Formats: sequence, structure tokens, C-alpha cells
Amino acid sequence: MNVQEYIESGIIESYVMGLASESERAEFERLCSQYPELVVARKKFEESLEGYASENATPPPPEVKAKVLEAVKMLPTRRGPGTTAGRTQIQILLRLIIAAFFVLLVGMTFLYYQTRQENQDLTNINQRLKETLDTTSTILKKIVDEQKVVSSPDVTVVNMVGTQAAPKSSANVYWDSTRSDVYLVVKNMPGLPSDQQYQLWALIDNKPKDLGVFDATDDKVILKMKNTQKAQAFAITIEKKGGSNSPTLQKMQSMGKTMQTQ
Amino acid sequence: MGKPITYTEQELVLALKERNNQAFSFLYDHYAGALYSIIKQIVIDNPELANDVLQEVFINIWRKIDTYDQSKGRLFTWMLNIARNASIDLLRSKGYQNSQKNQELPEIVYKGAANQAVLQHIDAIGLKKMLERLRPEHRVLVELAYFKGFTHDEIAEIEHIPLGTVKTRIRNALLQLREYLK
Repeated sequence: MNVQEYIESGIIESYVMGLASESERAEFERLCSQYPELVVARKKFEESLEGYASENATPPPPEVKAKVLEAVKMLPTRRGPGTTAGRTQIQILLRLIIAAFFVLLVGMTFLYYQTRQENQDLTNINQRLKETLDTTSTILKKIVDEQKVVSSPDVTVVNMVGTQAAPKSSANVYWDSTRSDVYLVVKNMPGLPSDQQYQLWALIDNKPKDLGVFDATDDKVILKMKNTQKAQAFAITIEKKGGSNSPTLQKMQSMGKTMQTQ
Repeated sequence: MGKPITYTEQELVLALKERNNQAFSFLYDHYAGALYSIIKQIVIDNPELANDVLQEVFINIWRKIDTYDQSKGRLFTWMLNIARNASIDLLRSKGYQNSQKNQELPEIVYKGAANQAVLQHIDAIGLKKMLERLRPEHRVLVELAYFKGFTHDEIAEIEHIPLGTVKTRIRNALLQLREYLK
């Protein structure tokens, strides 16, 4: 399109003075967004028209202004939902709602994370309490078991004392000869290298019988050992981890005799 | 030329859209004269009605300021067209025509317009004064279109000339006006 030719067609003046047809107006407005020089030319004509009109102004009677201002003062009271004033109020309200929504969202997000953190903390505490309870229950159960064994009338207590090899070693065997149950309570047994364990033996007619192994760390806790119906004596030796088939007598730590003969 | 600078106009439009009374008072003080001039060029010989139109125009400016689109033209252009349209609407109203004691349209109105053009030769104001510099066959067409609000079709009928000629002559007359305004 030849813009200069279009400008010289008089369309700008027609448009500005309100003499252009509807289709001419639409076309001009469309072309204005496409050709900045059209807008420049339009503004130039508008300015000269405005300048001329201002210079040739006719002052209206002064009372008209008062009437106009008075009439305009009455207008805002007639605001309705469709008016621009109503629209402005709705826009303000809408902005307030959006702002309130964001404040709420931030608040709720904060609460959510705070609650989640608290929940996590409580779960952790709960878990720790449960672990403590489990441990305590286990210990209590052992104490109760020990108490049962100790207080039973059928049980014989065999006090085992240290040998020359280990004078300080001591342990008690609780032996229920009717039911053949053997329990061991370690009182004081020195610590061992990790590849070694203590082993409890029953001596029956001078022959050793394996009653199981235990660690020095099982200190003061009652241990259920293997059953034996007969025993003239109990003995503890140091053996390789897992125990031996026959006792290493040189390493005998402690020994205690029962009342049983034969 | 004593017109407000662009920034001032933008500020004014913004304040008007916020229904600022001071801005509106400023607007009246600066533009009422120019708008009253165009109203009086259309609503001739009836100052009372011209005052009413001016009042109506400013009330409409206040009410319709939100529909003003700066991308389509300057504030004054928008207001000028409101003033011109309000004046022409009055011109075409039954009450006004009766008061002017005109019986038939459009011939009578045209004749009236032609007569007025002659009568106003002495005290022509505003744009009309400038129209006098145009060739008569151009001036009559601009008079009918701009100051009487006739469509190009109506003018072609009144003047008994082809529509194309009406368009060309008016466009040429407007281009000449532009040169005078410079």
C-alpha cells in the first residue's frame, strides 16, 4: 500500500472530523496499527484543528459551568452495577478477594508445613518411646523369668567360684532337676576377644556335657542354657566362638559342685 | 498554539477516569470555549439551546470518559465529535425543527443552510470562517456534511450530483482545510 497516497486522500481529515463512514473508520484504525506514519499524520492534523479551535473559542455564559458541575455532582449517586463506577468497585473488590486468597494460601501453606513438621517430630518421639518400651519390656521379662527361676522351690542354686586361672570369675547356675532346666546368671566374667566365648558344661560321671555358650557381655542377665537331668558339677571354660565338643580344661574359669552324686 | 502537552493530556484523562472533580473543572475551563464555538456554528441563532447542548456535552464527557480510547485520537478530537453529534442530534429533533418553523426536509434545511451561509458572511466564527476560503461548490458540501450532518448519499440527492463527486469534493475540501490550518 502507498501510505503517502492514502494520507493525501483526505481520509485523516474525514476520520478526525467524524465524516468517515463506518467501514472507512475501521480500515483507518486497522492501518494505523500497521503504519506509524499514519498516526503521526493524524496527530498532526488533530493538533492543528485543536489549536485553531482553541484560538477561535467562544466563551460560554458563566452560569453554564455551575450548571454542569451541579449536574455532574448528582451523577455518581446513580451508580449501578453496569456503570463504570460500579465496574471500578467490582474491580477493587476482585483485587481484594484475590489478595485475601493469596494471604490465605500463604497462611495455609505455612500451617501445613508447620503441622507436618510437628507430626514428623511426634512420630519420631513416638518411635523412640516404643523402642524404649520394647527394651524395657524385654529387660522386665528377663527379670521376671529370673525371679521365677530363683524363687522356685525345685531349683538348686549352684554357686560357681573362680579357679586359679580366673579367681575373680563367678556365676550362678540355677538348675531345676525335676524339669531339667538350666539357667545361668553371670555375676562377673572378664571380657573375651571376639573370636572366643564362654562355654558351660555339666559333669556327669566325670564326663563333660555341653550346655551352650555365652558372652561376657550377658552380665547379670539370666540365660537359658541347654537342659540336663544329671550333673555332679557345672564348669565354665573359654572356647573358640560357637563352642567346642570337649572342654579345654586348662581354660576352666569357674566350677561349682551340685549335691547330686552318682 | 496554547494546547496542552501530551503528558498533561494523559494526566488529565487519567484523573477524569477517576472522576476527579478538579480535573473536570480544569477540562471545562480549557475546552468549553472551543466546544461552545462548534455548537454555536451548528445550533445557530438559539443561544439558549446552545447552552443546553454544551451542558449535555460535558455531562456526557463525564459519563463516557471510560469509553475514550487514546489510541484512536486526542481527547479534544473525541470531545469535538461529541459536541458536533449532540448539536446535529438537536438540529434533527422534531422540537428544534418546529421551533425553526421549517416545514419540510431536506430541501428547506438545505436552503436554510445556504441562506445562513450567506447571512453569516459577516459574523462567521471558527471553522466556518475558514470555509469561506474554499471554493463555493466545495464549501456547500462541507457545510452540509459537517455542520448539518447529512450523509454523502443525502448530499448527492440534495445537490443532484453523483456520490463519487460528493466524496471527492469533500475530501479535497478537507485537504485544503488542512493546509489552511497549518
